Amino acid sequence: MLRILDIAFKDLLQLSRDFKVFMFLLIMPILFTFLFGYAFGGFGGESDSRLPVGYLALDDHWVTDKLHRLLANSEVIRLEESVLFSEADLEKLVAEGDLAAAVIVPQGYGKAVVKDKTVRLIVIADTSVQAWTTVKAELLSAASRIDGAARTAEVMENMELEGVPFDYAFDQTLSAWEEPPITIHETSSLALEKANLANRALAHTSPGMMLQFAIAGLLTAAQVIVAERKSRTLQRLLTTNTRRIHVALGHYLAIFLLIFAQFSILITFGQIALGVNYFRLPQATLLAAFCAALCISAMGLLIGVLAKNEEQAIIFSLVPMFVFAGLGGAWVPLEVTGETFRVIGHLSPIAWGMDGFENIVARGLGVESVLIPSAALAGYGALFFALAVWRLNAAEEK
Amino acid sequence: MSDLPAIEALDLRKSFGENRAVQGVSFQVNRGEIFSLLGPNGAGKTTTISMLSCLLRPDDGDARVMGRSIRSDPSGVKSVLGVVPQEIALYEDLSARENLTFWGKMYDLRGSKLKARVDEVLEVIGLRDRANERVGKYSGGMKRRVNIGVALLHKPQVVYMDEPTVGIDPQSRRNILDNVVRLKNEGMTVLYTTHYMEEAQELSDHIGIMDHGKLIACGTNEELVKLVGQQTRIDLTLNAHVESVAAAWREIEGVSHVAAENGVATALVNDSNLALPHLFEAASRLSARITSVNIREPNLEAVFLHLTGRALRD
Ligand SMILES: Nc1ncnc2c1ncn2[C@@H]1O[C@H](COP(=O)(O)OP(=O)(O)OP(=O)(O)O)[C@@H](O)[C@H]1O
Ligand SMILES: [Mg+2]
Repeated sequence: MLRILDIAFKDLLQLSRDFKVFMFLLIMPILFTFLFGYAFGGFGGESDSRLPVGYLALDDHWVTDKLHRLLANSEVIRLEESVLFSEADLEKLVAEGDLAAAVIVPQGYGKAVVKDKTVRLIVIADTSVQAWTTVKAELLSAASRIDGAARTAEVMENMELEGVPFDYAFDQTLSAWEEPPITIHETSSLALEKANLANRALAHTSPGMMLQFAIAGLLTAAQVIVAERKSRTLQRLLTTNTRRIHVALGHYLAIFLLIFAQFSILITFGQIALGVNYFRLPQATLLAAFCAALCISAMGLLIGVLAKNEEQAIIFSLVPMFVFAGLGGAWVPLEVTGETFRVIGHLSPIAWGMDGFENIVARGLGVESVLIPSAALAGYGALFFALAVWRLNAAEEK
Repeated sequence: MSDLPAIEALDLRKSFGENRAVQGVSFQVNRGEIFSLLGPNGAGKTTTISMLSCLLRPDDGDARVMGRSIRSDPSGVKSVLGVVPQEIALYEDLSARENLTFWGKMYDLRGSKLKARVDEVLEVIGLRDRANERVGKYSGGMKRRVNIGVALLHKPQVVYMDEPTVGIDPQSRRNILDNVVRLKNEGMTVLYTTHYMEEAQELSDHIGIMDHGKLIACGTNEELVKLVGQQTRIDLTLNAHVESVAAAWREIEGVSHVAAENGVATALVNDSNLALPHLFEAASRLSARITSVNIREPNLEAVFLHLTGRALRD
């Protein structure tokens, strides 16, 4: 048993001398987290931090256009519009926490405003999240301004034509405030914890880049294993009373510790510097990180065993990195890719890792939500490890 | 018990596909002696050593190392062994000290004992001053010395050294050869392979000559040299026509074996004074210019030539 620790310690000593380790495991993921974070954080550049609010106009009227302009120019909300959105879509997006709220302008709204009839804006929101207060204030203010403007215009019009007294106009304007011009549709949202929606993009890219570059970093560990075999140092190990399984476990332990340390550093960094709430459920985060490290380090061992030379170690690490990361939703969230792709994506262990971390930091789910992702990761880990050991034994006598 | 041989190879055989690398090798190495396997590239030396160190399972035959069978007790064999592989099997990104410390652990040394042994070995291989530099930055000779040092850490009863002096400077070579003799004086048994006959001659108590997977002769240096009688070896380096000169030499009286290789014609003669004029005459008759002459009294190289009809060269 001591041998396994000795081999792991030796590997870590070797890896600590390789600048690539720090480059791939720490520098790159942090860099790319910022890069992707900004890219996905919205296309409004600095207005990035505005709360996303879905917008669907079922009405075609100049008043509706005014309302749209008011909302679009808001400094606190950012309209997310698409001709493809249906009411149900918006409801779902709000429920999943991808939107802070959604506004639906019902048919006849514009006409009604002009005629001082009550057709209210429909707002879908989870009123239990903090962001709601902000959104509500903004929507109310916009709707009220529209209403107020209409009332005033009406009053002016009336004054000119019929000489209506001022107090009537005042009453009219004030009355607009008595009943709020929006109707709120309560919806239960999963996004209890998505108060700080500005960090939504980071909550996705932080685990995404962490997992992706953990795989990239495997090339360094795989190179250590390849070099050991090529220099015939492995053969020499076998002339001592060290067995192949000791060597495999030693390497595995070293990579595991390396990846787990990477996760710990990046999770702490994500929590403190990026505001990604990993520490919300520390046990769940720990479990997901542990199982993801189990899985990725087994992948590293397998790469080291399969690669015939150092160049192959690089290819065998980077190709799975791109495939697994792309497929597994480390770049583009699988939620937005549709059902088929989501199912296919879950062939990638990264998808399970993303599920695990995102359930904690983005979806606000409970501890039990990381159990299945963690089990899947551990399962992949066991599979990769078994394949590696099988290959190692098959290579015996060669 | 103590008069049992340290190593006893019994009809070892190993093929790689069609290639019969080792074809029934048997020999015996006494305790506390240096035994050399001498042979050209591809003779099967490394394959033999690999079987004796339980890295390769023989197709047939068996061997005992300190009385333990390589087939039935590999871990027993490994525990009395130190193996110096032909390749430099070290971690190049670790220093000499870190390498030795790691390997010491693999040989079950721990704590202060390990530290003491690492220091001793660094002293022996003459690398104490540079112990903390990475092995990758060492010269070939220094790497070779560390490569050997690793196998000595646990003071094994038997040490295998597979061509430990290939491609190194004379100084490192001297250090290594001196150490091999020192090991013997400390009571270790050394199985040494080489294709330098001078080394085999200088170091060994017994020598086995290998060629094409077979042990073609075995004995002390004197016993082996006797095989060729008192013949002298003459090498002429020629600028051309080596083959035809060699053919002409075969007709000359008193010339036994003739070989032609790499621009050098080699002959074994009974009396060099008598034969030389004839050899020169044949060369000049065929208009081959002689660029150097080398005359050597009987040695292992002559034995190899005698036994195989080829020169022992790489
Ligand atoms: N793992 C292997 N697979 C296939 N063939 C091998 C293997 N190892 C050795 N051989 C072949 O077996 C023969 C003997 O090789 P071996 O390495 O034992 O020779 P050697 O005497 O050590 O030579 P050298 O002086 O070059 O080290 C060679 O023909 C070699 O090509
Ligand atoms: Mg060899």
